[in-house]
Amino acid sequence: MTAIPTSQEKLASAAAPINLRRRVRPHEVLIQGILFFSGAVSILTTIGIVYELGKEAFLFFKQVSLLEFFGGVKWQPQIAEFGVWPLVTATLVTTTIAMLIAVPLGLMVAIYLSEYATPRARNLLKPILEVLAGIPTVVYGYFALTFMTPILRSIFGQDIVDVYNTASAGIVMGILILPLISSMSEDALSAVPRAMREAAYGLGATRLETAVKIVVPSALSGIAAAVILGISRGIGETMIVALAAGAGPNFTFNPFEGAETLTGHIVRISGGDLSYNSIDYNSIFALGLLLFLMTLSLNILSGMVVRRFREKYE
Amino acid sequence: MNPNSHRKSFALLSSLILAALLLSACAQATPAPTTAPVEPVATEAPVEPVVTEAPAEPVAGVMLPAVDPTSVDGAIVTAGSSTVYPLSEAMVASFKDEGFPGDITVDSIGSGGGFERFCVTAETDIANASRAIKDEEVEACRSNGREPIEFRVGTDALAIVVSAENDFVDDVTLAELALIFSTASTWADVRPEWPAEPIQRFSPGTDSGTFDYFVEEVMGEDEAPILNAANIQLSEDDNVLVQGVEGSPYAIAYFGFAYYQENAGALKALSIDGVTPTAESAEDGSYPLARPLFIYSDAGIMESKPQVAAFINFYLTTVNDLIVDVGYFPASVEALDGARQAWLDGMGQ
Repeated sequence: MTAIPTSQEKLASAAAPINLRRRVRPHEVLIQGILFFSGAVSILTTIGIVYELGKEAFLFFKQVSLLEFFGGVKWQPQIAEFGVWPLVTATLVTTTIAMLIAVPLGLMVAIYLSEYATPRARNLLKPILEVLAGIPTVVYGYFALTFMTPILRSIFGQDIVDVYNTASAGIVMGILILPLISSMSEDALSAVPRAMREAAYGLGATRLETAVKIVVPSALSGIAAAVILGISRGIGETMIVALAAGAGPNFTFNPFEGAETLTGHIVRISGGDLSYNSIDYNSIFALGLLLFLMTLSLNILSGMVVRRFREKYE
Repeated sequence: MNPNSHRKSFALLSSLILAALLLSACAQATPAPTTAPVEPVATEAPVEPVVTEAPAEPVAGVMLPAVDPTSVDGAIVTAGSSTVYPLSEAMVASFKDEGFPGDITVDSIGSGGGFERFCVTAETDIANASRAIKDEEVEACRSNGREPIEFRVGTDALAIVVSAENDFVDDVTLAELALIFSTASTWADVRPEWPAEPIQRFSPGTDSGTFDYFVEEVMGEDEAPILNAANIQLSEDDNVLVQGVEGSPYAIAYFGFAYYQENAGALKALSIDGVTPTAESAEDGSYPLARPLFIYSDAGIMESKPQVAAFINFYLTTVNDLIVDVGYFPASVEALDGARQAWLDGMGQ
């Protein structure tokens, strides 16, 4: 029988042996299960953290009013002073200094890598920059204390710069955040389509004009997201400030004075042994919750910025 | 996004994860010294400390039965005062040199923290303290079936310290000291001839027995003024204080004498009411801030864990050989005899 099969028969006979849909593959199910479990673990962890933070912080806010918490400028839980501002200002000062270092430098690095560097220079520089992100923060902390602080003290004078000061912690934190900013900004810059650049060149723009006036504005949403994530990283950074910024709450905006950040305070207080049902113990959870809300809202903000201001070309 | 940028964002993601891992590793590493071994290791088959000679007659002071560190084994968990810490560390090293095969941990978490872990959570065998145990801590111990026994091991002269670069202060009175650590904002506020520079204060943290002692002796038992003082940095880690006070001629700190002696080159210890801290002035009590150093244990622990009894015995017998090197001063003969007698009573001998 050598009748030529119709096209329909041909399709059916071809489809039958390789029907991929129906067969149950136990290992596929298993792998899917494992992957789902991995995803669920991180979500459950977050829920657990929020629950624990909220529970202990609730006990704290039963005794201390929000007004006292946000209205006072003195934080000494042992003598019932619960004004959170000294810790918040220190966090803001270190983070601001860090961003003053990390944003301009990181952006320049990103522009260089995406617009100017030859592929060779790029392949050499990028991994080196990523090494900076891999240095343990405790090493950065001692770097701030034993290297940056003496430099600041010899420049500005021993009497002006304290041994523990927020400036050196902030500067070193800036170095820590730099790779994050540069790497994310570079991704954003590289994603700008080649046609945009070529159009700019075609209109007679120089390389610098193209980079600054065309490419950077087009990638602004990505860059803004990088900056916001950098800020949230700075607020949460712990070891550098714990080692170099100071060990006492201090309501000041002077970067050369020692002051304790939210994270630094939590580390120092929990380093001694606290009794579990004391107000001191609950207070660190209130601080933790505040930190969590600060970084969470920044992360949400960065997501919104990306969605709102993204310019799509492709 | 082209595939290349996908790869890059993956690389970025993984480096972020790496950074997060490192960060969490750091975060976990920090509190480690305070939370080291949770459960004391279950007692091994009870080995009686080898008693080779009967207690000698108490004429030449109280003698303890000689102990052979190689004959006992198991874990010894101790925690407490950062002031006693260097002394206990030295005793542990010496006990191990003599052949003790087990593990001994010494955590430096402050006297209050030490009693917390000895009495409340009942997880340590020995509490180190730079102040006597408080009544409520004894109560907490009893509710856990522990009856704390106090062993006096030495004397500390609390050092009031400024930087070696400070050329204007050599002597203070206790009243001036209280002023320096509370309301005075510049040195000139304390004595007009001192410079009008802001005082930078460094103090042990509130969990520390040294802090409690200072508040009691100098601040008139009220901790509010010192915690309210401007420019004050508090740390449980005495090395943070040493580094801070070395850094400026206008800084002042207080801590155990051993930490002063370790850094004597860069620091200057002040005399108080004209008395300098020395072995003699600490022992005869003329130095106003001389204070006793203790370790605490419990008869039940000493009985069920012969290694703990042996270690305390060794501590009380040989502490005077090491204490001066560590930077503290020997307790009086009577006080040490009292401690040895307490050991004998605790062991029912």
